[in-house]
Amino acid sequence: MSTLELNLHPILPDAEEQMLRETVYAITSSYGQAYTRSLREEDRPPTELWDELAGKGYMGVNIPEEYGGGGLGMLALSAVGEELAAAGCPLLLIVVSPAIAGSILTKHGTEEQKERWLRGIGDGTTKLAFGITEPDAGTNSHNLSTSLKPSEDGGYLLTGQKTYISGVEDADAVLVVARGRNDDGSLGLPSLVIVDVDAPGFTRQEIPMAVKGADKQWTLFFENVEVEEERLIGGFNGGLGPIFDGLNPERIMGAAISTGVGRRALDQGAQYAREREVWGKPIATHQGVAHPLAESKIELELARLMTRKAASLYDAGAKGAGEASNMAKYAAAEAGISCVDNAIQAHGGNGFALEYGLTDMYWGVRVARTAPVSREMVLNYVAEHSLGLPKSY
Amino acid sequence: MKICVLVKEVPDAAVEKRMDSNSMRLDRSGEKNLNPFDTHAIEAAMQIKEGGAVDVEEVVAVTMGPESAVRALHKAVSLGADRSVHLTDDALADSDVSATGYALAQVLKSESPDLVLLGQQSDDGECYTIGAVVADHLEMPSLTQVIKIDTAADKLTCERQAEYGYDTVEVTLPAVISVGDAINEPRYPSLKAIMGAKKKQLDSKGTGDVEIDASKVGADGSRTRVLAINPPPAKQAGEIIEDEDTNETVEKIVAWLDERKLIA
Repeated sequence: MSTLELNLHPILPDAEEQMLRETVYAITSSYGQAYTRSLREEDRPPTELWDELAGKGYMGVNIPEEYGGGGLGMLALSAVGEELAAAGCPLLLIVVSPAIAGSILTKHGTEEQKERWLRGIGDGTTKLAFGITEPDAGTNSHNLSTSLKPSEDGGYLLTGQKTYISGVEDADAVLVVARGRNDDGSLGLPSLVIVDVDAPGFTRQEIPMAVKGADKQWTLFFENVEVEEERLIGGFNGGLGPIFDGLNPERIMGAAISTGVGRRALDQGAQYAREREVWGKPIATHQGVAHPLAESKIELELARLMTRKAASLYDAGAKGAGEASNMAKYAAAEAGISCVDNAIQAHGGNGFALEYGLTDMYWGVRVARTAPVSREMVLNYVAEHSLGLPKSY
Repeated sequence: MKICVLVKEVPDAAVEKRMDSNSMRLDRSGEKNLNPFDTHAIEAAMQIKEGGAVDVEEVVAVTMGPESAVRALHKAVSLGADRSVHLTDDALADSDVSATGYALAQVLKSESPDLVLLGQQSDDGECYTIGAVVADHLEMPSLTQVIKIDTAADKLTCERQAEYGYDTVEVTLPAVISVGDAINEPRYPSLKAIMGAKKKQLDSKGTGDVEIDASKVGADGSRTRVLAINPPPAKQAGEIIEDEDTNETVEKIVAWLDERKLIA
């Protein structure tokens, strides 16, 4: 798509997008927040919800039609992510599998890799997690030390550790970022490999988290895990470009989910403020209660608009997708936090009772200020790349 | 068999309904959607088509309404209808139930369906009567509140919900059946169905195309006049019986009902 056609992207959702949103919201609402909560209590993945949405084509809306997806790009997938969250079931697996792994495979996979992996991501029957973060290389990906060493039989051996990796319990494989081990023992450029979750030498440990979402967080351990050549995307030492093509979709989805949670919290906060009477009239008649909710609403709509811009730029392959994705993630995290926090405040003590479900949402939006990229790193990016200020780190 | 499903565009359920005091009609501005009760009629048609007991050639969604009603038709075909017909004409504006039923019957005559299905009510007007009016014009038998349909070649066996229980009624085709919302759980459209909706045939028809007598439709052709609109009387505050001792609570409820002669 050319940048000329970009101008034709509507700011307002078209009839199809509206029906897509309505349908995803309706299906997800029939599960709702109670379902998400039950998953953690029963220690199981959101299989029923995922399969119902995947069965109707909603989990691979961004994947090209020729590989069984909807062919509608990140604009549509971000709509799915937002509606899932707004209906009480934010899913991180939709970030890592169709958004990150799906986008990378679409742009960089070989024909065989697309047949083997992308087709399944397109119809939602294959799920890929994504592993980049390491204990000693948080934001600084130059410090990654997970290594990929050519082995004598023509394959590779993967060794290292990853942490805060989402949804591995429900994934078929993990897309792992590693660095090529050169002959002299030094580490080279990044490589991207697909590793089955049950590969020998691959173990994992759950990280207990405050976020009570549908997906778990894991630390992954790779000890000489055998990887075949066909599992490398972009080839040995050729992972850098593919990785970057996965990071913007990740930010766009992070933004979409934050705005979805924010929408839910704000709707609930506003409804409570309309109905709750303390001094003989609804508390929303007091501007001290109404104005914070109104401010959150403005922040939310601005963030939704920026998320839409970021997704449109990404889909168009246009310049500025990186900047817009960063800004959308930043704005959406702040808006999401503001919505949930102000909804809690409007609820008084009830804001903290499990019955009202707002505490379930809090850590979900709060984590978006920190991940997938921290607020501070977004500010660094904007300072340096948008404003031409000196690099600070 | 050919099935026509009558559908309607109504204000979205999330929009608070209010009367326009000037036109004395429902304010239909704002977000609109396919009448949720009609989705049960489409689903019933799809279940007959997929059930295999009879051969259904096509399911046609039919509506009367302004230009925007096209969206309701797109939704209807995304839920499974094969094509749709849109009766739209300025002459039809402000038609009452009787005039609307006449106009819809004229469209249906041009389609010659074996079965006409519709939802039990619209979510805006809530008249529950359009099926009977249409059936009268088509001179077909009509059933309301149907919650189960068994299909045979030229007749249906229907179970209908009544105040006193359930009726089982055999009806010869062609017929007009309005279905209750207990009849089924409507499916959700797939992404493919949504994206394909605009590609399905949609015929737009004016009054002249289906031989509608203009003097029988619109505000002037309607046989009812709204003289005044009034808000419903305010409900009296209810009586709350605290459940401290369940036996005692039950006794209090029984006494309350007995006092009002609500139980024998």
